[in-house]
Amino acid sequence: MLWKSRKDRLEDEIQTHIDFETQENIEAGMTPEKARHAAMRKFGNVLLAKDNAREIWGWQWLERLWQDVVFSSRILRKSPGYTVVAVLTLALGIGANAAIFSLVHAVLMKNLPVGDAKSLVRIGNNGDCCVGQGIPEDGSVSYFPTAAWQLLKKSTPEFEELAAIQAGFEWRPVTVRRDGAKEARSVMGEFVSGNYFRTFGLQPQAGRLLTDSDDVAGAPMVAIMSYETWQHDYAGNPSIIGSTFWVNTKPVTIAGIAPEGFFGDRLSSTPPEFYFPIETMPVLASVPYVHDPRTQWLYMIGRVKPGVYQPALQEKLSVLIRQYMAANKPYYSGKGKAELPKVHVVLTPGGGGIQNMQESYGTNLRMLMALSGLVLLIACANIANLLLVRGMARKAEVSVRTALGAARGRIIRQLLTESVVLSLVGGMAGLVVAYLGTKMLLALAFPGAQNVPIHASPSIAVLGFACGVSLVTGVLFGVAPAWIAAQGEPADVLRSGSRATAFGASLLQRGLVVLQAALSLVLLIGAGMFSRSLYKLQDTDLKLESTNRYIVHINPQAAGYKQTQVEELYRTIEDRFHGIPGVEKAGISSYTPMEDNNNSDGVQIDGKTGPGTQSSWIKVNSEYFDSVGTHVVMGRGITPQDTSASRPVAGVSRTFVKHLFNPGENPVGHLFGSPGSTDSFQIVGVVEDTVYTTVYWKDHLMYFVPFGQRPFGSKDPIEEDMSMYAGAIVLKTTRPISDMEALTRKTLASINPNLTVVKFETFDQQISDQFSHERLVARLTILFGGLALLLATIGLYGVTAYTVALRTSEIGIRMALGAKRSRVIAMIMRGAMIQAALGLAIGIPTALLCVRFIESQLYDMKGMDVGILVLSITTLVLAACIAGLIPARRAATIDPAQALRME
Amino acid sequence: MSTKEANDQLELLQGTLDLLILQTLAFGHAHGHAIARSIERRSEDVLQVGHGSLYPALQRLMKFGLIVAEDGISENNRKARFYRLTAKGRQRLSQETSKWQRFSRAMTRLLTPLPEKGQ
Repeated sequence: MLWKSRKDRLEDEIQTHIDFETQENIEAGMTPEKARHAAMRKFGNVLLAKDNAREIWGWQWLERLWQDVVFSSRILRKSPGYTVVAVLTLALGIGANAAIFSLVHAVLMKNLPVGDAKSLVRIGNNGDCCVGQGIPEDGSVSYFPTAAWQLLKKSTPEFEELAAIQAGFEWRPVTVRRDGAKEARSVMGEFVSGNYFRTFGLQPQAGRLLTDSDDVAGAPMVAIMSYETWQHDYAGNPSIIGSTFWVNTKPVTIAGIAPEGFFGDRLSSTPPEFYFPIETMPVLASVPYVHDPRTQWLYMIGRVKPGVYQPALQEKLSVLIRQYMAANKPYYSGKGKAELPKVHVVLTPGGGGIQNMQESYGTNLRMLMALSGLVLLIACANIANLLLVRGMARKAEVSVRTALGAARGRIIRQLLTESVVLSLVGGMAGLVVAYLGTKMLLALAFPGAQNVPIHASPSIAVLGFACGVSLVTGVLFGVAPAWIAAQGEPADVLRSGSRATAFGASLLQRGLVVLQAALSLVLLIGAGMFSRSLYKLQDTDLKLESTNRYIVHINPQAAGYKQTQVEELYRTIEDRFHGIPGVEKAGISSYTPMEDNNNSDGVQIDGKTGPGTQSSWIKVNSEYFDSVGTHVVMGRGITPQDTSASRPVAGVSRTFVKHLFNPGENPVGHLFGSPGSTDSFQIVGVVEDTVYTTVYWKDHLMYFVPFGQRPFGSKDPIEEDMSMYAGAIVLKTTRPISDMEALTRKTLASINPNLTVVKFETFDQQISDQFSHERLVARLTILFGGLALLLATIGLYGVTAYTVALRTSEIGIRMALGAKRSRVIAMIMRGAMIQAALGLAIGIPTALLCVRFIESQLYDMKGMDVGILVLSITTLVLAACIAGLIPARRAATIDPAQALRME
Repeated sequence: MSTKEANDQLELLQGTLDLLILQTLAFGHAHGHAIARSIERRSEDVLQVGHGSLYPALQRLMKFGLIVAEDGISENNRKARFYRLTAKGRQRLSQETSKWQRFSRAMTRLLTPLPEKGQ
């Protein structure tokens, strides 16, 4: 702007000067025309004067740049085909990368929105969850008993604050009802220590946050509501603060609202809506383990004081934890004592929070990042090729300009500007693609999630990344053609005209195409492998029946039921659901097949000490097996007669039998139990191996116990037996019932308004959810594979078409001399196919090598799948045929006479 | 527009235009045309200012902060850009003037074989 006004002013000034001179001349007696002429002559070259004057201020480069940019845009507009292909290529390449990078950045690199995230440290390095006991295999402890936290907090002045956080809150939602409201909701609530918010350095959005005095047994029960919930469910109503909510039927006061943007201590598709002090947990969730010195259920994140040497702190914490464990019964002697020395903790950066999601997505994300990088590489090769082709095509133009006196540097700069403009436009288009792509990615990665704390809008980092990549691409591949174009001796180039060598495209160009073909083959094979893996997963025989079945997750404990009341509740549930027309069976169980849940214990048959085999177990009602479609293969299933009053029995899975009995031995009638109580249950039947938890879990031992029954002779009080609580109802209907969800809610509410639906899904949906991760990866690899193929095809087409264009006169001569059209087509096709074949020759071994790196991410696949290899090769060859055939046919339709006349 | 014959006129030496402009402006502010006229007139039309080279010189002096420009009204009632010396410009003028005088004295001495009679 400044420069513009200075330029204008200078122009005015010079005009005024000439006017003055003219005036003087007229006064001296000249005619106005002559006077003006003389004035102009005296002034000399106005343009030169202006240029020189402006140059003084050093704005010349900007002006030249602007000229270049304007000129480039004009050139690009003049060849829309080239521009569109280049911009699209860049947009897709950059967009795919930026989208993946957005996700990587948000999931793997971003810190929690808390104060000074750098000084936060987590004690622990793995995602062990949620409630458990014992020492992990490698001795690295990541979750702890309440008393251990208290001990560490007391004995480590190195920490400014040390907070404790419930390890797994997602599997046990709370039922919340605002005082006065009719309907209760099942929502995520997290139990945290009183200094939780202080540790993260957070200020309340409204009201106050938790304090240490809230986290004391017997203190008035308070909760903090998340900002999201406050806004969405209560429209930011300030009267929420201080109001009473019924949490799992107990009154709790909302003390305040967590700050906006805070989504808890970890990335989750279901962030907590409420935060409660740990000491309210025994009352609210009536769990027995909060003060059990052995049960591990808390993660720890602390803020270290400045200058603390972390390796020393880690050593100190490890010693403390060992001492703590040594004081506990199982480690006095025997196996426990032997394991004790390996117990330690590992400090990890805590600024990103608990990294469970990062752990589960990390490998996939990094692989996807690599794949998208390959796509970008292919895109860059395409751009390079396009620019090279253009550079060659413009050799003549450049020569003319050089001959007319343009400086070589200026021409190079001009060509460079052109490619930079192109890549910037591509980069901007790429951002649009990135935005849409990230949205799509999020929808794919977290299907159905409402408030994933990851946003699709590209961050500054992503913006920088996209611009950087596009600029580097532009400069890198703008330099070579510009250099080549400017090197030519103008006279030579002009003399040789547009006549070309028989080879047409340069070695560099062909090399790029070969590289593209090779890379896209690798990506195609990758896509094939992941799709096949997904197909295999989904095709696994889960040994269940899912049609016309609905899974209703419930939480009777949160509805206020005591362990002693549930047997009756389950009978009521069965009766009420049988009352709905179309409902055939109402199964009730702790958890259901193909859901993220597991409960396991050691087993011993007939009191024989085995190798400490672990088996998962589930409590079920009599209709459960029928409702999920698990067949009884031997003996009987669970019947309504198996109640608290009868001998405790169990159904066991085939795998259970295979692992614990000799071949041919009849398991029915045998007794088993966890070590120490060997006659807990009597086996009454054997059932199919229905898949629980995950398909990846092979050799999964399972046993099924009737709800009413507890281990024979159990002395543990029933009031502490959490297994009495059902987690799900499985409804089997005779036909699809469209309003089943509403019917279910109504039915449950009629039993007890606090008996809310935690989650309602069809059985098929639940199964499909288990594969969402694999589906995401398969879809993305297919997307990238397709993209790569498309780009490589365009590349091959471009080079072939360019060759044909260069060889027009040669082909014309050949045809004039009698070459058949089919021979011309064959000649052009041969060139294209040779490049594709070379691509295959490089691609196949590369793919064979790469398969090793993704093997661990595949289901049930070892090494290269020949079918996929063949399919990928066929696809690539087909694409190459299409890319070659179009220009080949054009070559064949060349009119010899016309081609020769063009010279 | 000169009244003398072409061979009586002298082209300005490299670098002297800046000094002349500063010197002209020492009498007060002036616009571009007036500066050129003034130089020509005071040298009795011996020194010819290339009007075209005046403006780059003016921009250069401005850039170094020796003169500043402001809008004003000329004697014949037209809008024009007026230039005037800054303190820094004045200081530079006196430096350059003394330097020039020493230089021209030296040149004169070198180019004159004998002192002129009567002097």
